Amino acid sequence: MLTADLARSRTYEGTITPLFIDADEQQYRDTAEKLIRIFEEHLGEPKGELEDTIDQLTIADTDYKIVQGLAKLLKDECEFETVAPVEPQEIRQALFEKANGSYPIVRQPTLGEDTQKLEVYSSVADQLGITLEECYRGMYADLEENKRLVRFGHRVSDEYENADDSTTTTRLTGDSEESYAEDTITVDWLLTRYNLALAQAVLYDATEMRVRVWDSFATVFSYVKLFGLMHRIYPVDSNGNRVASTDVADGYEAILDGAASLFSKSRKYGIRMANFLPALPLCDRWEMEADILDGEGGSTGGTLSFELDYTDDLSSHYSAQSDFDSDVERTLAQKWERANTDWELIREDDVLDLGAEVMLPDFALEHPDGRRVIFEIVGFWTPEYLDEKLSKIREADRDNLIVAVSERLDCSSEDFEGMDDRVLWFKSGIHVYDVVELAAEYAVEVSPPQ
Amino acid sequence: MRLSFDDGTLLLEDAPEDVPYAQYDDRVDEFRAQAQHYSDIREWATESDGQATLEESTATVAEFEDDARAYSEFYFTPSVAIEPRDYQQEALSAWRDNNRCGSVILPTGSGKTFLAVQAIADAGVSTLVVVPTIDLMNQWHATLTNAFGDQLPDGVGVLGGGSHNVTDITVTTYDSAYRYINEYGDQFGLLVVDEVHHLPAPTYQQIPEMTIAPYRLGLTATYERADGAHEELEDLLGTVVYREEVDELAGDYLSEYETIHLQVDLTVDEGEEYNEEYQIYRDYVDSHEFDLWKERGYQEFLKRTSYDPQGRRALIAKQRAEKIARTATKKLDTLDNLLKRHHDDRTIIFTANNEFAYEISQEFVVPCITHQTETEERTEILERFRMGEYSMLATSQVLDEGIDVPAANVGIILSGSASKRQYAQRLGRILRPTDDRQPARLYEIIAEDTMETYVSEQRRQGVSASADS
Repeated sequence: MLTADLARSRTYEGTITPLFIDADEQQYRDTAEKLIRIFEEHLGEPKGELEDTIDQLTIADTDYKIVQGLAKLLKDECEFETVAPVEPQEIRQALFEKANGSYPIVRQPTLGEDTQKLEVYSSVADQLGITLEECYRGMYADLEENKRLVRFGHRVSDEYENADDSTTTTRLTGDSEESYAEDTITVDWLLTRYNLALAQAVLYDATEMRVRVWDSFATVFSYVKLFGLMHRIYPVDSNGNRVASTDVADGYEAILDGAASLFSKSRKYGIRMANFLPALPLCDRWEMEADILDGEGGSTGGTLSFELDYTDDLSSHYSAQSDFDSDVERTLAQKWERANTDWELIREDDVLDLGAEVMLPDFALEHPDGRRVIFEIVGFWTPEYLDEKLSKIREADRDNLIVAVSERLDCSSEDFEGMDDRVLWFKSGIHVYDVVELAAEYAVEVSPPQ
Repeated sequence: MRLSFDDGTLLLEDAPEDVPYAQYDDRVDEFRAQAQHYSDIREWATESDGQATLEESTATVAEFEDDARAYSEFYFTPSVAIEPRDYQQEALSAWRDNNRCGSVILPTGSGKTFLAVQAIADAGVSTLVVVPTIDLMNQWHATLTNAFGDQLPDGVGVLGGGSHNVTDITVTTYDSAYRYINEYGDQFGLLVVDEVHHLPAPTYQQIPEMTIAPYRLGLTATYERADGAHEELEDLLGTVVYREEVDELAGDYLSEYETIHLQVDLTVDEGEEYNEEYQIYRDYVDSHEFDLWKERGYQEFLKRTSYDPQGRRALIAKQRAEKIARTATKKLDTLDNLLKRHHDDRTIIFTANNEFAYEISQEFVVPCITHQTETEERTEILERFRMGEYSMLATSQVLDEGIDVPAANVGIILSGSASKRQYAQRLGRILRPTDDRQPARLYEIIAEDTMETYVSEQRRQGVSASADS
């Protein structure tokens, strides 16, 4: 992500807009290409030299914010390491101890007893069993600017690869919690990522975020949870108007903030919202509005409105949730395709707000005549997961929720007190017609027949 | 009722309707309170349940479970040989009498850190110390390590400046504290805030709000703020419990010293490059009407550099010219001579940038401290300098405001910024004669016929002006 000083946006009449760049414009493509090449050429070289080279690009360029911003995103894909045969701090300490008994260490010896630095370095090098050059360069090899670029994207410095064969390199992404889709670094990748990062930077000062999504619910809410945001969730129709129940919802509106937002407008969660933002472009259709605190004024200062939606052409580097959580679900979906029933099986269509948590039942079943049930499968899981699942089912407290439970699990009908007749017990696979039968019994009418 | 620490707040599960300090949180259908009300809520819950009202059975909270507190108590004695001075003792008592809450106002240089050490020992709980800058964080780390280091199995923790090590006594910056307080706000029983007048800001005030610490201590020399925001400190940390005015502390903090100015020429190559770059800058400035010697004129220039490519080039030219003057080769020759003369003294060499400090460190094999030096290593180097194991030290601008540098009798300034206050403070700090017969000495090495000559001139005027007033 960008640092706050690299953010670029414009405020106008109470709104704030990131200054997106046109990824097709040749000057930006040239800059991006130049930068990527610089990084590739500096594999194995010190970070300071890489940065100096980047700075050269910005000397008479007022777009230096863009250049430095692009460079920052590339740096996030890099790994820099201290390369020295002995811990630099150990080398330094040995040198200073040795030197302290030898002062003055001078450049132009005037007296016979004056020491020259070479004597100090070579004696310490011998003591540590390293070469004179290793001693001199290793002394401050751990300084940020002296660290070596050992990995850029997928490319690993040859030297580094050979020296470090046995251990696997940990990927340092800067934001370790994000799960990245695997990408190769190209001009398009960089410019797309840059526009997303500009939008994220506006969110650093956000106090509240409102999102509306019409698909990919499981993905979106897993990222809400991952980044520690709190939610209020409202089912909405296709126009974004709130509706009474998830049974008649086309999408969901979520108001996102954090624990202390209850007491005051806090920009503390802005960084979490910025981290969350890339989850939205994983949806086909989404909208976002955020309140952005203007300036240092805090709760007394003004609030700007920031809006984005799926037409803004942002794209995500996060990974979407895979289609099915388990084989049981996948198999059932396949069987459903082949089965002869009017009931339609829809995956993860409901988002139930359980306060601190959300529950996304695995399926919804809808009949053309307007009847609907929601359907959760409790398959093969650890005891802790089972407990959590059971408490969620009880908390959801929905009349039209039916459950399929594996007989292999350590639970019985008592665990489903009050709703045990809505449970379908299964051995290895779930039969379509058993589900249909249960659905017919507990479905509620949610819309007029189609 | 079950009390737990949740992301910088207190979650009150199954709380009665009349629970104080709390608000109903419709997101989770429970009450929630700011973490700073921890001790109040605890007191409210246990009082009605516990002693006094036991027979009345009006217990507000039948079952009270406290899962919020994660800090520990311990008993240690600071290994500090000095006796607290009278005013420090008074300040400590006043703070203790106020339930170990509130702010103490003491002038700079009167041992605020020492007072905090006494307060930590007195409170006997895990402590978080919050300070404005990384430099101060390093300084506090050194002092606290000195006082408590032996008694803490994991040493004094550092959170910020690239370190993330939280222990029973941890030092952090305002920025890092703001960032992480929601994670660690349950782990400290005492919150010490240095330069507390910086705290009233929408962001920073969340630091005290998000910690459960029942004990709080604010420290500053300048409590009152022009905007009146210091009044908010009462809610966050408690009232002012002690105030010592500047006049009441007599003492000679500035000692006598002798200043010697040395000018060096640029080499031919340096001179050419300097003139070339300086001319680009000068031409640009002359072709526009900036009054550069005034703050506003310079701001105007900087603003232009963000949209005018020529302006941008002029700014770079200025930076390059400054760098040439700052790191002039002949300065190293002059330094060479000085080190020959003073190799038996205790010498601190100041540079204005890290790069030059490291260059000197490598060239003359001198220990070096910059912004980049990690806190532990910095503490170690300063300690060795104090103990006489190292007699020389090179440093960039890190030994500034509020830092106690171990005594040195020779200071060498290779370059510096024009800030008057900064300069005067530096002099006061480094120059303590190590023996009575020999005055302390300050050398200033500057490049001739450059902007530095002007800056140095300005700097000297600043010192004499403040000495007059």
